[in-house]
Amino acid sequence: MASREVEVAELPQRSEPPSGPLSDIARRLVDPFRTVSPPESRPATGFFTDTTVCIGCKACEVACKEWNLLPADGLHWSGNSYDNTGALSATSWRHVKFIEQLGEPTPAASVAAPKTPLTSSPAFSLQRLLHEPKDGRWLMMSDVCKHCVAAPCQQACPTGALIHNEFENVFIQPDICNGCSSCVSACPFGVVTRSSLDGHSHKCTLCYDRQRDGLVPACAKACPTQSIQFGPIDELRERARARVHELHRRGVTEAYLYGDVPTASYSELNSFYLLVDRPAVYGLPDDPVNPWLSMKGDYVRAIGSGLAAIAALLAALWLGGI
Amino acid sequence: MRTGDGRAAHAVSTPLPGGYAGRAITHAPAWGGLVAWDLLFNGISTGLFLVAAICEIAAPRVFASAAGVAYAVALGFLVVDLAALVFDLGDPLRFHHMLRVVKPGSPMSVGTWCLTLYSLPLTVAAAIGVLPGEWTSLDAVRHIAIIVGLPFALGSAVYKGVLLSTSAQPGWKDARWLGGYLTSSAIALGCAGMLFLSLMMGEERATAALRLALGILVTVTLIPLGLLVADVRPALAQAYRARELSGLAAACLGGGTLLPLYLLVAGKTTSVLVVGALCVALAGLAIRFAIVRLPHASA
Repeated sequence: MASREVEVAELPQRSEPPSGPLSDIARRLVDPFRTVSPPESRPATGFFTDTTVCIGCKACEVACKEWNLLPADGLHWSGNSYDNTGALSATSWRHVKFIEQLGEPTPAASVAAPKTPLTSSPAFSLQRLLHEPKDGRWLMMSDVCKHCVAAPCQQACPTGALIHNEFENVFIQPDICNGCSSCVSACPFGVVTRSSLDGHSHKCTLCYDRQRDGLVPACAKACPTQSIQFGPIDELRERARARVHELHRRGVTEAYLYGDVPTASYSELNSFYLLVDRPAVYGLPDDPVNPWLSMKGDYVRAIGSGLAAIAALLAALWLGGI
Repeated sequence: MRTGDGRAAHAVSTPLPGGYAGRAITHAPAWGGLVAWDLLFNGISTGLFLVAAICEIAAPRVFASAAGVAYAVALGFLVVDLAALVFDLGDPLRFHHMLRVVKPGSPMSVGTWCLTLYSLPLTVAAAIGVLPGEWTSLDAVRHIAIIVGLPFALGSAVYKGVLLSTSAQPGWKDARWLGGYLTSSAIALGCAGMLFLSLMMGEERATAALRLALGILVTVTLIPLGLLVADVRPALAQAYRARELSGLAAACLGGGTLLPLYLLVAGKTTSVLVVGALCVALAGLAIRFAIVRLPHASA
């Protein structure tokens, strides 16, 4: 049966909003002040990134860019292992980091050339490769927004563009942000960035659009090793603790969780990590501090200094016989 | 170093076992020279209003005429300051989005509302201040506007430092006395501005009183400045070379304090006193540039 095509213009149209320069200006002025009732709260979701199984394939970076229609950043050879992304940015919401913890390279002259090709040797086997002594390791980690429970970027935002959405994810409303950069300044993880393309701040949305449709975020979906796991945050935390126990049992005693629980100076993260070295090695702050902890004291000192200066002014007027 | 998108500029580096340790973690906001000027103009406007208002309330007969002009000048500086704030946004056409919410936890929101509420009585005071003499019946309105504007002017002066110190940026995050310094400095700048106006208008009693006041305020401001330097000393040492730091110290102590003090005490002519007042402003600008550059220079 032949399908019948219908021109969109032929379909019944709802009345068009008025257009023209004045209407555009009016819309620009009024629309940001319109409010709608927020969506019903849903179970908090997040990411658990197990760095011990990351293979550095960058499928997450690619999937994120594809789904979110983020432009390419160009190819820049950094010389830093396989990390040519450099940093999280307004156009890179995932960043795979590479850390080469290898021993000193053996001088070429001291390496005896094999008499026969390795693969033809009877001793060659997968078991031999797996058990040969290793003098180093690779660490890889897919970095992303931490979706902090008490997020400094959200606290800083003066426009209300940065919110915790119904999934408790930190989300930038792109139609509200005016690019003031307060969030950039506040983020201790160097996540939020202002774009030079549109002047607005951007970062991982935790694929809000996909979540609303019941889908897994693109990066977690693409990850071939389940290094990036997505789900209800309580479930993820349980799973992560079990994984740490398992690694400890298998001799990886240095494994620990980063951002799983709140510290004295920072809230827990809804995107947290399993690491096997110091956080700084992965480019994470060892002991993140929420800048808002010192805000009240800073206000007190500023107001106190202002009042002291006013008192000094009045004293000077009095001394001057006024 | 980072590009406009905050991406690290790609210099060739050798992979190290330490991985990313020692590299800058935070992204420096794209706040540059315009913000340093904004800090200065904000300080001059709010300081001038505060000093003019307090002087006028304390001794109306001595300061009323200079204060009347001071409000108009403060409004002019505020307009320039607001323009700098708007053009520093990534999307200046969305500047009014700042007024969508009132958020006491966000220093920038507090500042936006303080500046808005300060601008209204300032405009009234400035407008009435420049009206001809027969409009004296509006003086009561002007006085009410001045009193209403006082807390918002102080709030507008206070928020700037807290905005920068409530951040994760190298240097700023440790600057517990930044708000204290900027507020105290704003009042000193305002006093310098008021002295300048008194000199220009030939108000001798006002000039004499303000000379003493500026000398005291310049000295008092050294206290929060010293505490601020103690807070950010590691960041300063990382961000600037020893020669740059020596130059900055010379500009602050020599050009911003000792020279103005000498000129205020020994100055006999108007032009010498004007130079003293200008020194205070220039030193304030140099310090503000150094503060704004801190995260960029440390990255």
